[in-house]
Amino acid sequence: MSDTAMEAAGLGKRFGRRGGWALHECSFRLPTGRVCAVVGPNGAGKSTLLAHAAGLLAPTEGSLTVLGSHPAAARERIAYVAQNKPLYPQLTVAQTLRLGHELNPARWDASVAERITYENGGLDPKAKVRTLSGGQRTRVALALALGKRPELLLLDEPMADLDPLARHELMGTLMAEAAQYGTTVVMSSHVVAELEGSCDYLLLIGGGQVRLAGDLDDLLAAHTLTTGPVRDLTPHTVVESRTTGRQLTALIRPQGPFSGGPDARATTPSLEELVLAHLRSPEAPALILASARTAAQESAA
Amino acid sequence: MSTTGAVGGLPWTVLRVHRTALIVWGSFVVAVVAFLVGAMGVTADAARAEAFRCLHSDSCDVTATLEYSAVLRYTATVLSHCFYAVAAWAGAALIARELESGTARLAWTQSVSPVRWLAAKLAVPALLITLSGTVLVVAYRWSWSNRPARVIGDWPATAVFVARGPAMVAYALCALAVGALAGLALRRSLPALSVSFAVMLVLSQCLDRYRADLWPTITRTGAAAYDQSGPVWQVESGVFVHGKRVPDPSYGNCEGTTSEAKRCLTEHGVTGQYSVYHPDSHFWPLHLVETGIVLAVTAVATAAAFRLLRRRTA
Repeated sequence: MSDTAMEAAGLGKRFGRRGGWALHECSFRLPTGRVCAVVGPNGAGKSTLLAHAAGLLAPTEGSLTVLGSHPAAARERIAYVAQNKPLYPQLTVAQTLRLGHELNPARWDASVAERITYENGGLDPKAKVRTLSGGQRTRVALALALGKRPELLLLDEPMADLDPLARHELMGTLMAEAAQYGTTVVMSSHVVAELEGSCDYLLLIGGGQVRLAGDLDDLLAAHTLTTGPVRDLTPHTVVESRTTGRQLTALIRPQGPFSGGPDARATTPSLEELVLAHLRSPEAPALILASARTAAQESAA
Repeated sequence: MSTTGAVGGLPWTVLRVHRTALIVWGSFVVAVVAFLVGAMGVTADAARAEAFRCLHSDSCDVTATLEYSAVLRYTATVLSHCFYAVAAWAGAALIARELESGTARLAWTQSVSPVRWLAAKLAVPALLITLSGTVLVVAYRWSWSNRPARVIGDWPATAVFVARGPAMVAYALCALAVGALAGLALRRSLPALSVSFAVMLVLSQCLDRYRADLWPTITRTGAAAYDQSGPVWQVESGVFVHGKRVPDPSYGNCEGTTSEAKRCLTEHGVTGQYSVYHPDSHFWPLHLVETGIVLAVTAVATAAAFRLLRRRTA
């Protein structure tokens, strides 16, 4: 059993021969047992990355291993919920769960799937999928994914079409199931708020490349949000700085001890502040923490 | 593996997802067989009675005889064209709609590889098409070979030619494979439907056009040129003018008594007559060569579909 859930080495994907790169020279490592948020602007390559991990796409260059093997070989141990929650509209809810059983004969856990689908104001087993609302579809799609008892659960924008209450409930269910079975969860989103509090690992993707990768707490600790009079911030790495009058607000990566001076305040940024600062400054250097480095990156570092 | 029923796993999924198509196709097969059995029971008996009356009377009615000919002709037309429906369905619903709506990805991220998924998507319909197609062909051959006297057995007619043997099944299997390939290549229902329909149209029209060339013809010359026995497929006939073949000559100029006509022919340089044809015994060689060509196209389309899917997915 490998302790690596996902490892990309120089992963690149180009759609069509003359298309742009959706992913380019992507390298990172994700340890098992983590709940990883994949964030980035629209079109950053989040969905492409998850589709590769699910064995749905063949990379143009580089490689991606999942649970220690090729994604195609790990198919049984991976679950994937696509962004638009595709389900067969002509099947009923019960038939959709039966489909999960028929297509995962070795792993299917009907009790998990039924609990998610039917409990707590759940769905009518005889309802046709085409009659379900967006939130109800998400519920069935998640049941199908968790009923498989995956070792790695890939969720592409899982909560996008849920109201806040349903989002909260389903996220709770998801996290409980994941914790119970030690499932590694990789969840993409561009709504940072929906990830706060449930994720402990972060992968920030921008322009098809990894910008930030590592343990969330460590990443936050590696940055400092400082407000104070305008001044030179060298030798620290400045991710983003904004000047309002004589005040300077900056997100920096302190190199060595940082003291902002007598008038300056220095705090640890929130997840949202960290992500937004990096999204606003695409030219900021990438930061890949030790736990997220591949063997090749480790030896280079 | 499966909780209930004899069929489980992927085959169950394929049957369940495409249940409407299964019901429609099943109804079609039942309807055609019932129609033929009904015609055999009622119309054929009436036609036989008519034929008997015609033997013993100066004037007689042939309504039922014509009706039975029409039954054979129309059924053949339906059977020899039903592969267009298969092409449309396979192009739009079998693969492309799943790629379009993302449900293919749903299947591929269960414990089923894309290649196994495609294999089941092709094998289950192929098996059902082969079984039901065999039933249809057997039913048609039965009502063809038991046709009453005086009902015309026009075997070279395109529809009848295809409906009387395995070519009918081969065309349907080919439509399935071409539809699947179009669906995989285009990934959208409507274009895939159009392309698969068009490809099958071109294929069947080409084979229809060159059907007579699929097996060597027989050429007869001399007085017996037009004197074939049995229902033959006349491909070409004509006269020799100074030793050269001239098909479909105009005899309009040579009228009158036998000697007048003969003199006229000599004046035109006609030295003999010939005909090129397929005898009745060429039906099976012609039919099997055509079946082979269609099955070869099927095999190529199937291989291309798997290759395309393998290259695209991990």
